[in-house]
Amino acid sequence: MTDTQEKKLHGVYAEFDAVDTLLAACRRVRDAGYTRTDAYTPFPVHGIEKALGIRPTALPWIVLGCGLTGSAVAICMQVWMNSINYPYIISGKPYFSIPAFIPVMFELTILLSAFGAFFGMLALNRLPKFSNPVFTNPRFDRATDDKFFLYIDASDQRFSHQGVTRLLGEIGGTEIQDVYEDNSSTRVPTAIKVVIGVLAFLAIVPLLSVARMRVTNSPNPRFHVFYDMDFSPAKEPQTISTLFADGRAMRPDVPGTVAVGQFDEDPNFYTGVDLEELARRDHDRAVRLVRALQDSEGGTAAPQPTQQLDDAPWLTENPRPLSLDLLERGRMKFEIYCAACHGNDGRGHGLVSARAQQILSTAWVQPSSLHQETLYQDVYPDGKLFSVISNGIRKMGGYASQISVRDRWAVVAYVRALQLSQNASLDDLPVNRRNDLSRRKAEVEQRLGEQAEAERRRAEEAAGAPAAAAEPAAQPEAAAEPAPPAEAAPEPAMQEQPAATEPAPATEPEPAAEPEVSPEPAPAEPEMAAEPAPAAEPEPAPAAEPETDPAPATAPEPAPASEPATAPEPAPATEPEPAPAPATEPEPGTEPEPATEPEPATEPAPATEPEPAPATEPEPAPATEPEAEPATEPEAEVSEPAA
Amino acid sequence: MSLAITPGLDNTVERPGQRAPLVLGDSTYHSITESVSQIAERPPSRVWVVGFLVSAALASWLGICIGYLIYTGVGVWGNNSPVFWGWPIVNFVFWVGIGHAGTLISAILYLFRQDWRTSINRAAEAMTIFAVICAAIFPGIHVGRAWLAFWLAPYPSLNLWVWPQFRSPLLWDVFAVSTYGTVSLLFWYMGMIPDLATFRDRSRNKWRRMAYGVLSLGWSGSARHWMRYEKAYALLAALAAPLVLSVHTIVSFDFAVSQVPGWHTTIFPPYFVAGAIFSGFAMVLTLMVPARTIFSLEKLITIRHLENMCKIILATGTIVGLAYGTEFFIAWYGQVGEEKFAFINRALGPYWWAYWTMITCNVISPQLFWFKANRTIPWRIVVISIFVNIGMWFERFVIVITSLSRDYLPSAWAYFSPTWVDWSMLIGSFGLFFTLFLLFCRFMPVINMAEVKATLAGQLHHSQHGDI
Repeated sequence: MTDTQEKKLHGVYAEFDAVDTLLAACRRVRDAGYTRTDAYTPFPVHGIEKALGIRPTALPWIVLGCGLTGSAVAICMQVWMNSINYPYIISGKPYFSIPAFIPVMFELTILLSAFGAFFGMLALNRLPKFSNPVFTNPRFDRATDDKFFLYIDASDQRFSHQGVTRLLGEIGGTEIQDVYEDNSSTRVPTAIKVVIGVLAFLAIVPLLSVARMRVTNSPNPRFHVFYDMDFSPAKEPQTISTLFADGRAMRPDVPGTVAVGQFDEDPNFYTGVDLEELARRDHDRAVRLVRALQDSEGGTAAPQPTQQLDDAPWLTENPRPLSLDLLERGRMKFEIYCAACHGNDGRGHGLVSARAQQILSTAWVQPSSLHQETLYQDVYPDGKLFSVISNGIRKMGGYASQISVRDRWAVVAYVRALQLSQNASLDDLPVNRRNDLSRRKAEVEQRLGEQAEAERRRAEEAAGAPAAAAEPAAQPEAAAEPAPPAEAAPEPAMQEQPAATEPAPATEPEPAAEPEVSPEPAPAEPEMAAEPAPAAEPEPAPAAEPETDPAPATAPEPAPASEPATAPEPAPATEPEPAPAPATEPEPGTEPEPATEPEPATEPAPATEPEPAPATEPEPAPATEPEAEPATEPEAEVSEPAA
Repeated sequence: MSLAITPGLDNTVERPGQRAPLVLGDSTYHSITESVSQIAERPPSRVWVVGFLVSAALASWLGICIGYLIYTGVGVWGNNSPVFWGWPIVNFVFWVGIGHAGTLISAILYLFRQDWRTSINRAAEAMTIFAVICAAIFPGIHVGRAWLAFWLAPYPSLNLWVWPQFRSPLLWDVFAVSTYGTVSLLFWYMGMIPDLATFRDRSRNKWRRMAYGVLSLGWSGSARHWMRYEKAYALLAALAAPLVLSVHTIVSFDFAVSQVPGWHTTIFPPYFVAGAIFSGFAMVLTLMVPARTIFSLEKLITIRHLENMCKIILATGTIVGLAYGTEFFIAWYGQVGEEKFAFINRALGPYWWAYWTMITCNVISPQLFWFKANRTIPWRIVVISIFVNIGMWFERFVIVITSLSRDYLPSAWAYFSPTWVDWSMLIGSFGLFFTLFLLFCRFMPVINMAEVKATLAGQLHHSQHGDI
């Protein structure tokens, strides 16, 4: 610093020893009109802003702005991510949930405000500023130690070197110094450059490797740092394990254990049998049954055929309280599991059955109609029905592993409702429904009349007059008679259980179809028997189509066994069924017989042959029922004469 | 026992009408500068070297254990069904709680205009930073696939195609702890800028001057700069005060938002915050009392400072004790079977030893601070504060472990035992903490010289004018 004249003069400063003297000097300088002034102190001095005339800063507004930005960013981020773009269902909490979003909002507000305060302060102070001419003088080092400096910048309007120097001296400043531009070298030392270079190079290398990896292919398989995480040795379901004798990786339940929620204190609920009574009658049997229940995982394992006990003390009442919900549940389960074979109306003409007959399956047994008297509640208790659902009977498999125990009882209740629905009279209906019914009956009759007319005209044109005369004659009668009971039938007599009318809509189409098909198994109308079954089959099919689409599917053949009036009919029409279905628990020995015997005796078109015989059989059947074991033997016995 | 305070250095006596001096012993601005700067300028003392070597060894051991954990898996810990959150989470909550005292001293005592904070706030803030570092390690490594911990951040991922779940307190933790660490770091660093300038100006060595020069950002002590600096400092203090309350509240939500008996209670946020301040101040005392002796800072960190901190420990310890009682009362009053059982099980179940340790250390030991002797004799302060720290670790242990080991389903109950890795990581985390703190003492200004000088200035001003 030899040639001071060439260096730029930045300003002049003076040194002070104490806060008070500094403050007094500051006021003097301010009052003298200097504005481009500053003080350098080792700590913030109270009152110096006022003494020097420093205006307040706008930093708080910057912080406020940053804080509000933080809140906005947080709420937008969370709403976009969790409420709009990819909503998660978390315990049913609302997608847009302010309470859940508040913590992050709060934190981001604070974070951005803090950034605003810190970086705003640095920016307003124009820091970092490593080169400052005031640092040139080593004595200035004491500004951060224990000395105070008052500085007047040369750019001030009132600045004059001599005037400022004199003023500073007058107000108590010592060591008055000029501040010149520092012309020392600004070269960064080599060592620092080398270090920075090395670090930058090291920082780039990983990024370049990643970039190269992303744009090239490699013949090598991917390297797995944690091989056993990427290819877990844990077994998937349905795989083999060499650790166990049975070779399965999936382990069955420990025998004798019951899963949580699977056990009810009342084992009757799980078996349909009054176990105490059974224990009194046959202790060993009861023990076996309970043990089987325990092994069956709370009654949900695949059913065991050995559990068919036909002389057991069945529960006569459904242990679940009857309610609309119960019947709805039962209906749902029935339509899922049972209707495929038994039909939505329970008459046994499910889709599966229809298909089997269509392909002339020889191994097929017609599913039982659930509306046989032999299946009614008084002779076929609820517990036995439950057991059949659980364990199956004859060709029917058990549904224990598919329908939960509670739902099976619901199905039992629904079956009873179905049965009642086919066994009701007009008086069982609520009054308002009766009016409905009459109206619909009239509509149906009218439609049937129109159909009959159309048929007659077609028959007149196509076939001869007699055939045309016979059918229309038969059909309106058949249409008339089955119509009222058929119409009444769908309306069950359960006033309190309007849900029970659900079976009605399901079954209604069929009764409507019945008029067409009923000519053959027409209630106690012998002349109907004359109608050939084959002829009956095509008839119901075309005639039924306009009326009822579901009907053909469910009642393709004339087997409307649910007509209450048709006492003889159910027996004949369902002769194949009585044997397979109602004989739920025949003695093991006799099981094959009832199943097989009626079949050869009756064809899939049962309406034909059995009719003459059926007229007689039902009598012996009911007559023999009391003799035989309740609700089981009659079917067996029915089949015997048939056989 | 008579008070072993040097007569000239006893500022614990309250004289009505007179403000107790906070900077003692004929200190001047320059003596303050000297006292603090020489710690970083002179070669380290033997105590420092030994302490540093031991801590560094423990910290290295922590690093090795973390590597082993990541390589082998979280099975190396004692975490198992049903105690899925074991020591890692206990340690996390423990360290996060400790960190809160630093921010409280810096920010909340600043807002309350407590000038005595000026000589301890720098070290306390440093303690906060290091405690948060120790805390943040544990959630990072306990996730199982620690190398994927960045999935917690809300970045648009072409790989994941999902966003974080913002309704989870575990994610709130991520934001809270990282915000807390960042803000504390900014606050601490900003406070150090003027003192780093002092170090820069005192440096004789070129490299030293360059290093401190870069760190001090060219600070010159300009009054205009000070004005904005003070404004930023006040704003940061005002921001950090609710932040410190919210962070441990959010950490408590990890438990309170669950359904576990003993956790699902609304008392947790204030209870945790009080506990955090309690344990944090205890750790500050554990550090400050030896440090002031080793570094000869008795005139700046006076007995009055220590006594004030002891009073805060007494207050928050009483709050924590009250919270224990309230929890117990609410469990009885609410008549929820599992909740009642949870609390009886804590006291009488298989972890009774942990519970009674906690009660002794947290409820009984701070009550010793009612006695002045216990507040003013340094070694007693250290002993009691160490007990408080032990008690607070056990409190987290009791909360986490007992509630998990016996919750709703008795068939799922099991006794949790830590493994050697659990022990190693706990001790190693202390090693890391002390390593960082000793490095801080060696290289950074341990006391906020500028603020202490301002306190001295105020003291001189008031004594000159003869007013309070």
